Amino acid sequence: MTTSTVAEHGDPEPDLFSAELVAEPFAALDDLRRQSAAVYLANYDFWVMTRYDDVRAAAADWQSFTSAQGVALLPEFNGNLVGSVLASDPPEHDQLRAVLSEKLAPKGLSKVRSDIRGYADQLVEQVVSRGRFDAVVDVARVFPINVVADLVGLPQEGRDKLHPGADATFAGFGPFTPYLQERLPAVRGYHEWMAQMTDRAKLTPGGWGEVVMDAVDDGRLSMLGAIKTISAYMTAGMDTTVNAISAMLRLFADSPEVWSTLKSEPTLAGPVFEEILRLETPVQGFFRVTTKEVTVGGVTIPKDQRVLLHWAAANRDPGHYPDPARFDIRRNPLDHMAFGYGVHACAGQGLARMEAVTLLEAFIERVDRFELTGPVVRGGNPVVRSLDSVLLSILSTRS
Amino acid sequence: MGVEIVINKAACEGHGLCELTAPQVYGLDEEGQAVLKQPVNESNQAAAEAGARVCPVAAIEIRR
Repeated sequence: MTTSTVAEHGDPEPDLFSAELVAEPFAALDDLRRQSAAVYLANYDFWVMTRYDDVRAAAADWQSFTSAQGVALLPEFNGNLVGSVLASDPPEHDQLRAVLSEKLAPKGLSKVRSDIRGYADQLVEQVVSRGRFDAVVDVARVFPINVVADLVGLPQEGRDKLHPGADATFAGFGPFTPYLQERLPAVRGYHEWMAQMTDRAKLTPGGWGEVVMDAVDDGRLSMLGAIKTISAYMTAGMDTTVNAISAMLRLFADSPEVWSTLKSEPTLAGPVFEEILRLETPVQGFFRVTTKEVTVGGVTIPKDQRVLLHWAAANRDPGHYPDPARFDIRRNPLDHMAFGYGVHACAGQGLARMEAVTLLEAFIERVDRFELTGPVVRGGNPVVRSLDSVLLSILSTRS
Repeated sequence: MGVEIVINKAACEGHGLCELTAPQVYGLDEEGQAVLKQPVNESNQAAAEAGARVCPVAAIEIRR
């Protein structure tokens, strides 16, 4: 592959994983979207798709855009992924997904809603009583991680590995960036810890971990499959929700009118979450591999090419979402691509919605206004749009 | 021009976005699976299509 659509246009090729574009990706993504339906990036040898309709169609077409060769960029990381629910195609994929689909479906989740709301109340009460807190460190990196770890039935000891491990693992979906290099020990430690969780003695009875181990006992999953399944769901349940919640709380400080509208209409909690997912899509994209020559919007991608389905770019396609850079509390973009789409659509999206809405309800009851008290610190993860620190003070209904 | 709505029960995971978008057309049954609440005709076709569109797992097919 030497021909490049970018080169033909005479534009310099963007490095989507550079620190500069990770911090501020949207202008480069707009350029790529304008250039063509699929652009070949020679620097990492993959194609990127950025237009909403194309990304959605490719996500739905798993026969042409396979996940079975891994959804990361590098072979080193795809080797560990292949055969997991994330990196397989039907029918194998459907069997793996079925292991937990009942627990993850909204009907199954309705049983745990009051527990999650209770935990949201407890955590929010704690930060509100302090008056000042870090939305990332004290809320966003605490709430979803404990919710998911409790549901899986993981022990308390070792949970401190979860967020750094999941964040580093996500970085492993991209190239060998300095960010990833520095975190390889975290990836290793996280996966070693997770591998121990196939010991039933460590798992809380009745949790999802036990459901996975039951599937090993009756032959639906191998032991390696069990580790991959637990790891996949834990990883997927962390950096994603963590950063969506961080972005939401930052938004309320930046745009007090959004918070006051939500306060007066609490049923907008769902739409607020969907719109932040669209605007600040945490997982930037996942890779697929073409199983045959595919033509997209007049561009022909040969067989066996790695293609990045860029969820974040699709979510800001002005052809689908008018005025895409604007947060519109009434847009309620339920068809956004932040959870992917089709057979690999995020299995935990119902849980993510439940976490976000219960957390918002807990804040709505207690907070009149959020204010930034320090500089917002953006995270450097090249695959997940992230925040490292959002210092807030609150004006409380109760103070 | 009528359309036919086909819900793929094997793919449906009960996320409920169809019902949220078009409650007059879609509901969830006791198993938490999407069902059509009424036949689709000219009066509710737009709602039915909007509900199908937001299905995250592409379980609702519109046949023209």
